[in-house]
Amino acid sequence: MAVQDATSEVLVDTLERSLRNRRIAKHVGIFLTLTLLWELGSRMGWLDPLFYPRPSNIIRSFWLIYFQNANVWFHLYSTISLVIIGWVLGSMLGIGLGALVGFNTVIRRFLKPYVIVLEATPRIAVAPLLIAALGFGVNSKLAIIMLVCFFAPFINTLSGVINVNEERLELFRSMRASKTQILRKLVLPDAIPVIMAGERLALTAALSGALVAEFIQRDKGIGSLILVYTRNLNMASAFACIFTLTIIGFLIFKGMEKLDHYIAYWKYEGGRERMSAKRKRTMVEP
Amino acid sequence: MSVSDQPIPLSGRILDIGVRFLPHFVLFAVIIGAWEISVATGLIKSIIIPRPSAIWSAIVELYITEGTIYRHFFITLTEAVVGFAIGAGVAVSLAIASSLWDPFRRYVTPYAVVLNVTPGIALTPVIIAWFGYGMGSKIALAAIISFFPIFVNTLTGLVQVDEDREELFNSLGASNVQVFRKLRAPAALPLMFAGFKIGLTTALIGAVVAEFAQATDGVGVLMSRFSFQLNMAASLATLLSMTVIGLILFYSMEFLDDRIVFWRRESRRAAASRARARTWAAQAKK
Repeated sequence: MAVQDATSEVLVDTLERSLRNRRIAKHVGIFLTLTLLWELGSRMGWLDPLFYPRPSNIIRSFWLIYFQNANVWFHLYSTISLVIIGWVLGSMLGIGLGALVGFNTVIRRFLKPYVIVLEATPRIAVAPLLIAALGFGVNSKLAIIMLVCFFAPFINTLSGVINVNEERLELFRSMRASKTQILRKLVLPDAIPVIMAGERLALTAALSGALVAEFIQRDKGIGSLILVYTRNLNMASAFACIFTLTIIGFLIFKGMEKLDHYIAYWKYEGGRERMSAKRKRTMVEP
Repeated sequence: MSVSDQPIPLSGRILDIGVRFLPHFVLFAVIIGAWEISVATGLIKSIIIPRPSAIWSAIVELYITEGTIYRHFFITLTEAVVGFAIGAGVAVSLAIASSLWDPFRRYVTPYAVVLNVTPGIALTPVIIAWFGYGMGSKIALAAIISFFPIFVNTLTGLVQVDEDREELFNSLGASNVQVFRKLRAPAALPLMFAGFKIGLTTALIGAVVAEFAQATDGVGVLMSRFSFQLNMAASLATLLSMTVIGLILFYSMEFLDDRIVFWRRESRRAAASRARARTWAAQAKK
């Protein structure tokens, strides 16, 4: 039942393998050739530069929007701050409600039909409704991001809490563990990897939700910047913004990986040793 | 679960279902009643959350008396399905190619990862500039954002086969075609369908978001139009149609999953083997 991230080990493996074995030169070579072909095609008039911007123009646009005009920072700040606040609030809500529903069979039974319906609805589609209800500005953006973020942590927490290992639970009970002990030492450690997978999905969804909200509101944020540039047929700058989002997406991916290593350390090679060494240090020198 | 072979009489079955669902109905009625009363007494502003009765009359108007929604409904459904079909076609063929040919996989992977970390929704304005205001841009966005989960899942399924089985195939001298047809493809199918289900949902999101940005027909347009008229009841009724589209898409994929990957569910496996036994018996009679 848990929602999983689509980024698979196969791709990451292939990527790492091919980058390691001195193939990086080949990769860069292919990339440069493609870029040059694009540039050439544009200069020879095969690709309309109005719609398909030249790589050189995109690079110039990067320079323009980041340093010369430096107008992107304001929009970046607006988008990223909202994404992070909305993600924290939305996923907190998701985890809390997921745990509540997971522990309470009665609520679970009654909530199930609503969850199914909610799962089938494209949640971003509620954006115009929320904007109409809460008005233009920060409130509705935050509400959209929270709504988009809510679901993956909710479902994953729920399934993590439900799928407790029965035998371990039996052992805990037979040793008369209290409810808090069961929660802290059994349920949470088992559920955390699944919850983290949900959190990662939620952060990606939060970025998409923010973009959609900005497309509709068109006031500030990187989404409205892309929209304005495209409307003005300034495609090079629009692409510079999109590649900025690629970088942000990559940072999100890496950041969540780091966070996962830190929180669910026992899942990874060496993580457990590192943690026990750390604990030993703190125990020796109190 | 009843174990007896005696068929329960129909009236008993209806009663059984009634008893099982009665609490759900009661809860639903109570929620709706409380909602209606709190809006009617002014506890909640009807401009933010409309009355259930107003939503119901909007549903009746949109779906029955005027029937305006069906055209938009089918346009969005077509956009999502066609976009999904294109995205899935490209994704599956690329995944097959990169599972068969290692260098191809190495050189495609970086681009796939870059495409994945970029929020596909950010491309919306650009796609609309490229493909126009009609259905083409919605189909393109749906195809682009449904591509990745299908690609990754298919590739993972094709590459990560059980090594013992592969060993067995090799030691029995299976040809490459046989390994692909009898080992890799069947092993990949369940994961592929999981990818299809994610892809369908994202395709619907892509179609709706592109309609928000710029379109003339489709439930997304209807939704944003009603929202900006502050006609909340009608926009909630439109949201319901998106849920219906989502449910239709999800359950038809679930049905296909059940038929094609029949060996995963015990009852379906038994049914398939019975059907095969029948055809073989018929052949033997001839």
